[in-house]
Amino acid sequence: MLTVDDLEIGFSTLHPLAGVDFSVARGEILGLVGESGSGKSMTAMSVMGLLPLIGGRVTRGSIRFEGEELTTLDEARYRRLRGGRIALITQNPMTSLDPMVRVGPQIDQGARLHLGLDARAARIRTVELMARMRIPDAARVYDLHPHQLSGGLRQRIVIAMALAGDPELLIADEPTTALDVIVQAQIVQLLVELVRERDLALMLITHDMGLVAQACDRVAVMYSGRIVESGPVAAIFEDPRHPYTRALIGCIPRPGMAEGTLAGIPGTVPSIADLPSGCRFHPRCPMAVAACRDRVPQTVAVAADHGVACLLAGAASGDAP
Amino acid sequence: MAKYAIRRLLALLPVFLVVTVIVFLLIHLVPGDPIDNLMRSGSDPAQRDALSRAYGLDRSLVEQYLAWMGHLVRGDLGTAIVQRRPVAELIGENIGYSLALGGLALAFSAIVGIVAGVTAASFQDRVADRALMSLALVGSTVPSFWLGLLMILFFAVQLGWVPVSGARHWTSVILPATTVGLAGMALVARVTRIAMIETARQDFVTLLHAKGVSRFTIQTRHLLRHALVPVLTLLSLRIGLIVGGSVTVEYVFARPGLGSLLIRAIGQRDYPVIQGSLLMLAIAVMLGTLVGDLLQAAMDPRQREDDRS
Ligand SMILES: Nc1ncnc2c1ncn2[C@@H]1O[C@H](COP(=O)(O)OP(=O)(O)O)[C@@H](O)[C@H]1O
Ligand SMILES: [Mg+2]
Repeated sequence: MLTVDDLEIGFSTLHPLAGVDFSVARGEILGLVGESGSGKSMTAMSVMGLLPLIGGRVTRGSIRFEGEELTTLDEARYRRLRGGRIALITQNPMTSLDPMVRVGPQIDQGARLHLGLDARAARIRTVELMARMRIPDAARVYDLHPHQLSGGLRQRIVIAMALAGDPELLIADEPTTALDVIVQAQIVQLLVELVRERDLALMLITHDMGLVAQACDRVAVMYSGRIVESGPVAAIFEDPRHPYTRALIGCIPRPGMAEGTLAGIPGTVPSIADLPSGCRFHPRCPMAVAACRDRVPQTVAVAADHGVACLLAGAASGDAP
Repeated sequence: MAKYAIRRLLALLPVFLVVTVIVFLLIHLVPGDPIDNLMRSGSDPAQRDALSRAYGLDRSLVEQYLAWMGHLVRGDLGTAIVQRRPVAELIGENIGYSLALGGLALAFSAIVGIVAGVTAASFQDRVADRALMSLALVGSTVPSFWLGLLMILFFAVQLGWVPVSGARHWTSVILPATTVGLAGMALVARVTRIAMIETARQDFVTLLHAKGVSRFTIQTRHLLRHALVPVLTLLSLRIGLIVGGSVTVEYVFARPGLGSLLIRAIGQRDYPVIQGSLLMLAIAVMLGTLVGDLLQAAMDPRQREDDRS
């Protein structure tokens, strides 16, 4: 359904994405995972065609949606796609809704724009959709303002808003990061159910490998603007080939662990203004050899639908931590 | 909302009391009195005392204040000492001109300012934005007095489009209103622009784009609504300046109005007229500010105190 191929984006001279490849099929949940700063949100903004909004542009590669090239699509047609066929859910439900507008009409907007419903029909549909999001007393909540709702309820509103235009592809950018653990689980379960019952495609962006294991079918691991490993969730967890993937799996958050740290691997994602040569992970990689500093690793298939971009991919096989 | 409005209105009562004291003291503490303006110099001191007594000017300030307040609460503004007509009548003759001038100046500040601000924000960092913001900078720094004179020279004297002064034709209000409203207009433009740009960076605006809402709709419906909140604050703060500005501009343009009435009455130390017209100006400022606050509360659900969930 969605195929991203060698995508590079630019902000003046900086390139937050430098050759990103992945694809999502209908009915599939793809986890896009990586530490903060690796370029996940940039990928989401690229697919939504919203880079110009933050001052960026696609400089290379392609984004194909149902066979249609999006990188060269004109704005008027892109607008019909947004909300109508591809929808976005953002991280922070406290800031994702217009504080001055009642929540119901914020959901209506999508149905009115993309399904051509009038105000009354849109309202009826919105209340149904809100009830489907397990929002109690939906008809009353329709008329409330965002500040009168809890974070969990607001995120359900944001999801309803995304579904209002009946999209086929859902991009959820860390949809649960800002919520507490119990609400997180409920929201993830809701998203999975919606994907199954509506045969959607979901791109679930997260930095939490535990969430990937729990909810996703396939996973693409991102580091510093590149996909370093991708494949079916089972294959990746059984046989992770990239040292970064292993570190991520090793750092599935457990109680008592400092947030955002990689087990055994200190440091952070490099700044896009000061990128290391060769493999961008080599300064932090416990297995790096001299060649890693000079050669950019190409993605190689180590199994069917399992690709790794690591010079040591073959050698590293089988000695998972 | 209605409860909130009533509470805010009641809160103005003590302010109003303080204002009456200030209005009263302001003129009574200035040397000279209205009797000087009634009599020629060198006239009979006994006659002077008699007049003073007749107008109660021989009593203590406290007594005079209480007497004035006593009439005021019954809706009686008293009678002009020098002009010898009811103050209410004098104010009635003039207030229309002032309302027209102040209202138009306010509308000019608001409408032209908001349109300029939205336009600048839509063309952020491009030529139209730079040009509008340079103009706004000039508009808010040039003294309005000087600008008023320049405009008289150009539009009235040179081009003859509008009258130089007075208020005989409706077009005569254009130059004074522009003069009074210009600085406010420039400020409104700048505040509108920056509020639109700041709001555009928020997550919910990204989601509006992601929903497929057009850029134009986002600008004019969603961002503008947010920008109007600080703009309303600014405008209700400007009301005092507009009222004050109107007083001097009426004088410059030789227009009738509360300002002209006040200035003439000050020259004559005509206490009841000064007190009455100052009070009207103060009420205009208080009510204007109140209306601004209420509009703002009506627009922003987070500020509505009695908005229950
Ligand atoms: N507006 C911007 N202009 C230029 N660079 C940006 C901008 N926003 C984010 N970046 C950079 O892009 C990189 C990827 O960011 P992002 O996609 O937000 O990461 P993630 O979502 O994975 O945490 C980071 O290095 C970040 O510093
Ligand atoms: Mg992000």
